[in-house]
Amino acid sequence: MVNMTTEAAVISTKGLNLYYGDNHALQDINISFERNRVTALIGPSGCGKSTLIRCFNRMNDLVDNVRVQGQILFDGEDIASPRTDVVEIRKRIGMVFQKPNPFPKSVYENVAYGPRVHGIKDKKILDQIVEKSLKDAALWDEVKDRLHASALGLSGGQQQRLCIARTLAVEPEVILMDEPCSSLDPIATTKIEDLIEELKKRYTVIIVTHNMQQAARSSDYTGFMYLGKLIEFGETCQIFEAPGERLTENYVTGRFG
Amino acid sequence: MGEKFHEELKELRREFCEYSNFSSLMLKDAFEALKSGDVDLSADVNARKKQLSGWSDHFDERLLTLIALYQPMAQDVRTIICTLKMNTAFYRIGRYGKDIAILVPDFATSGHLGRMLNLPYMAELVFSMIDDTLEAYRSGNISLISDFSGRDDRVDDLRYSVFREGVTYMMEDPRTISRCMDYVMIARYLERCGDHCCSMAEKIHYMVTGEKVDIS
Repeated sequence: MVNMTTEAAVISTKGLNLYYGDNHALQDINISFERNRVTALIGPSGCGKSTLIRCFNRMNDLVDNVRVQGQILFDGEDIASPRTDVVEIRKRIGMVFQKPNPFPKSVYENVAYGPRVHGIKDKKILDQIVEKSLKDAALWDEVKDRLHASALGLSGGQQQRLCIARTLAVEPEVILMDEPCSSLDPIATTKIEDLIEELKKRYTVIIVTHNMQQAARSSDYTGFMYLGKLIEFGETCQIFEAPGERLTENYVTGRFG
Repeated sequence: MGEKFHEELKELRREFCEYSNFSSLMLKDAFEALKSGDVDLSADVNARKKQLSGWSDHFDERLLTLIALYQPMAQDVRTIICTLKMNTAFYRIGRYGKDIAILVPDFATSGHLGRMLNLPYMAELVFSMIDDTLEAYRSGNISLISDFSGRDDRVDDLRYSVFREGVTYMMEDPRTISRCMDYVMIARYLERCGDHCCSMAEKIHYMVTGEKVDIS
């Protein structure tokens, strides 16, 4: 097990339990995510990994019958509390989803949307933000001549990087990625993985993936979840080379899942 | 991946044990031929080298294919890396068998000196290390290889004692030089085989437990 001091942790949970009605979807989760590191969450479908990261920016709020117990600390503050400003949290903790979901607007507008919502109106500043975000998402060179064309005309991989640029535009601290490459081809996947490597210099990245090789390649830490429990958490090379738990071993070697 | 991969890996391990036996038998037969002056047996060992090298290449290729196709993890990847390393080691052990075999015709005419400078005892120790390495790989029983450090020390001491004893004979009678030099070389080959066993034992320990140990 990796011991992480709470100072180094950006997000941590203490005794986190989540119920969908009678379904106990997350069971006593205690986990910490270190700043400027990539942490991967792996586990078979339905194990709770997406549910867990959706807790971090309160995306589960919209689900009926959901009940959350325990603490989710973000920079020391409990974000599970009803007093939390959800919009503020979603600005600081951005999310990229499985399927690229650009708005049916231009490339430019997709990226400028967030900053506008947060009150930036100056065209010059917006231009700068759009350019910087697209550059950071390694997309600028491909779209700089078509900033005002529809984002829906981009390829799947480009759309996904656009969604990452859209997330970066509001300068989050943490980026949650829920299987960001599962609908992309291998080349687009490689680009996203290279991008993750770059992003971790400035952001904390938490990625949910079904692709074990992707977790092994792109993350510093890996957590393995099974049936709503965090079974094992450790440095990625340890989890994939010599896992401590039999369940992890069986999952990463493809014996179930 | 799942079942198909694990079936393939299991079958590969089974065949790899056959190959390791083949290689270890080259060494054992070569030593037997040396002791008894059996020129036919030594020629037979020498002839096996082609099959040894073909087999070794074959395992390298198959293991690489498994990595490329399945990108194995955890114990699976440890097993593959362990097998790759053991492949090199067992190839070397077979080749040392061949190296000993080609010395046999000389001894068949000249006869041996005394009790072969304790070489048979040294060979016995090394053979038991090879057998235990193979069994630990096959069964995962690492208690068989837990005392390799001490056994390797004994083998190293014996190698040095063969050298010193050889030197005394050579000083006493220059006609023994050629035979004693061969004994010293054979001791060196056996000592190398013991070393290969230690390095294989480290890999097997890692394969089974995921922990790295230092055996030297």
